[in-house]
Amino acid sequence: METPIEQPVDEITRLQRCVNDLVSILALPAMWTGGDPSHIGHTLIDSLASILTLDFVYVRLNDQVGARIEMVRGARLATPQAEDIGADLRHWFGDHPETWPPVVRCRIGDEDLSIAAVPLGFHGKLGIIVTGAQRVDFPEQKERLLLTVAANQASIALREAQVLSEQRGLAQELDRRVAHRTLELAQANEDLRREMAERTRAKTQLAGENELLQMVASGRVLADVLAALCRFVEETADDCICGAYLIDWRVPAFQNGGSPSLPTSFTAPIEGLPVRSELCPCGIAALEKRQVISADLESDPLWHDTAYRSLLLSHGLRSVWSTPILALSGRVLGTFAIYHRRPATPSPGVQELIAQVTHIASIAIERAQDEAALKRSAAFLAQGQHLSSTGTFSWRLDTDDIRFSEEANRIFEFDADSRVSLEQIADRVHPEDIQLLSEKVEFARRTGGDVDYEIRLRLADASVKYLRTIAHGSRDENGRMEYIGAIQDVTARRLSEQAFERARSELAHVARVATLGALTASIAHEVNQPLSGIITNAGTCLRMLDASPPDVDGARETARRTIRDGNRASDMITRLRSLFSKKEFTQELLDLNEATREVIALSLSELQRNRVVVQSELADDLPSITGDRVQLQQVLLNLLRNASDAMVGVDDRPRQLLIRTESEGRDHVRVTVRDAGVGIERQVMDKLFDAFYTTKSSGMGIGLSVSRAIVERHRGRLWAEPNDGPGATFAFSIPRDPERTTDAARIVRHS
Amino acid sequence: MIQHSLVSVVDDDESVRESLPDLLRQFGFAVQAFSSAEAFLASEFVSQTNCLILDIAMVGMSGPDLQQELIRRRQSIPIVFITAHGDPTVRPRLLALGATECLFKPFSDDALLEALTKALG
Repeated sequence: METPIEQPVDEITRLQRCVNDLVSILALPAMWTGGDPSHIGHTLIDSLASILTLDFVYVRLNDQVGARIEMVRGARLATPQAEDIGADLRHWFGDHPETWPPVVRCRIGDEDLSIAAVPLGFHGKLGIIVTGAQRVDFPEQKERLLLTVAANQASIALREAQVLSEQRGLAQELDRRVAHRTLELAQANEDLRREMAERTRAKTQLAGENELLQMVASGRVLADVLAALCRFVEETADDCICGAYLIDWRVPAFQNGGSPSLPTSFTAPIEGLPVRSELCPCGIAALEKRQVISADLESDPLWHDTAYRSLLLSHGLRSVWSTPILALSGRVLGTFAIYHRRPATPSPGVQELIAQVTHIASIAIERAQDEAALKRSAAFLAQGQHLSSTGTFSWRLDTDDIRFSEEANRIFEFDADSRVSLEQIADRVHPEDIQLLSEKVEFARRTGGDVDYEIRLRLADASVKYLRTIAHGSRDENGRMEYIGAIQDVTARRLSEQAFERARSELAHVARVATLGALTASIAHEVNQPLSGIITNAGTCLRMLDASPPDVDGARETARRTIRDGNRASDMITRLRSLFSKKEFTQELLDLNEATREVIALSLSELQRNRVVVQSELADDLPSITGDRVQLQQVLLNLLRNASDAMVGVDDRPRQLLIRTESEGRDHVRVTVRDAGVGIERQVMDKLFDAFYTTKSSGMGIGLSVSRAIVERHRGRLWAEPNDGPGATFAFSIPRDPERTTDAARIVRHS
Repeated sequence: MIQHSLVSVVDDDESVRESLPDLLRQFGFAVQAFSSAEAFLASEFVSQTNCLILDIAMVGMSGPDLQQELIRRRQSIPIVFITAHGDPTVRPRLLALGATECLFKPFSDDALLEALTKALG
């Protein structure tokens, strides 16, 4: 749009003004440095309003510059409102300012105006400047230039402001983030500090608990442990005082367990206090197995007007928390009380502490009670062992480690604490029984079987003790053999048994003698009757022959009667013999080894009582024989008794008895009984088997004669011979089958 | 005078009842033999008997029982006990009760004669 130059002076003035305006516009950026878009907008609009002759200026800044801003200046407009102008403009030109026409004439308000719009930024991205004037020639060229330059300058400034704003935003964000992170770090730091403090506390607490447990484990006195426990809680939780109380349920009543920080004036009334729920919180805790918290005794209605309340308050205590001490089984062992001088309730941490210490207290109390029970039980056992004169022992075969109970030591007269060895035991054993002991030890080592035997001790004062030993061998999990056994001092019993035995054997002897007397009387009667007849007849006969004249017929008759009575007497003797010998003779197939074993078993206790050591050598391949089992066993029993009796006085050597079975030739078996007794002299050897011959003070002397009769009935042979060393050997030999023996053998025997 | 005196023998042993009367007759006595005390008591010879030779152990009434019975009947017959049981303790007891003698079987004829002489003398 060309404006014709009218006057040169005016033109120059106009140009000067124009340059001035341009300079003003160009100076704007200097003001805008560091400013925000709103500042830029306001400066811009104010400058345009003062520089150009306008009716209104409207500036709108878009979101892109940071904020949507509308502003308006209008000298001639009455109270121009930016929003109203904006609304009018949008009404006329649409919602998108970038599409608004550069110049247009339109009516705004009550006036027709020439409107010129200049976009800010490329395609008006940043906003728009709208100017309006009533002049129809608006905008002139100069005004258009100024608007364009102003718009350019403003666009640059807005961009810078935008960049600056973005930078500021970034910086702020950075600051914000730094601040946030710093806060987080500070928080974490605080947490860590707290955690470390907590850990230190927990560690201290754990150390304290461990110390308490160690006290328990090392068997410290219960009172010490409970006192330490109280002190531990007092140190761990602040400004509290503790008391541990035990309960004797037999009463039931409280006992002071440990309360190191409480004076006697406080603990004395609690000692022996009945466990009743109306008397104190500990009563409730014990009876109802629950924690009882009395935060403030002054106001707690539960303990109002109680002696307990007065007791606590008089000692300056305001609160009490009572917790039951429970055994694993649920049994109440006691209570643990924590007192404060101020109203107080337990924190979760303290509750945890209480749980922990009551647990430790329960372990300590149970252990103490167990120990007391164990001591009592051990005392009972020792007393029982003493009363029954029975000691116990254990013997490890691999190490020969021998443990004696107190009573066993007493029986052996060992020192209470001395180590017991097999040698020491052997040292105490009667010399005659050393062999028996070593045999039992050897048997135990070899078989691991149960042992049950009697042995004598000879003690330092030469007194003799009789001991019965019973022991059972068993293996532990490692297969090591151990014997556990009992040793009973049976001296008193054995001595009375011996006295009884003596009395009995004397009585038996008397009875035997009496029987023998009756028997001989009966025999005498039976024999004397015919003898009497014989003598009377013989006397009569002589008198008849002496008469004159001799009565020969009468004499013959009496002589005949004499003969008859003689035969009668002979018959009588035969009858008596048959009376004494058993007529029945059973024939059965029998194992002589088995029969021998039975006899040994039968007489073992008697043999043991006589301290006889029995050895048996029974042939494995011994053939069965035919005979009377009971009668042969009578023979064996008789031989064993004789052997045992023969060794009664033997004290300088083992009383050894050997029973041997063996085959003899093809069809005989032989049984040998060898003793280490007094032996037999050669000259009496033949008389041994005679009836009524005896070397024993208590014997009748019929055993061997009966034995020989039995063996001979089995068509066998019984004989005796002295040993090379001490003692004698008796043996019998019988055919396997008596029916098959030859007549020749029978004839020899009968001769 | 001992001749023809009646001597009664009471013994359950037959050989004694056979042999003893013959010997007594050789001595010159009249003799009656009984196998039991009851038989003797039942006989007519109780009052005629001058001397009684009496076995101690008999089935049924024993010799001492008969002695007591005779005392009860006031029959004072001298008694010579004979016994095959060699128990010497019975002798003093029987003598104390009034027996003349107690002979242990077997006894000699002289011992018997001596006892009878004492009893009848």
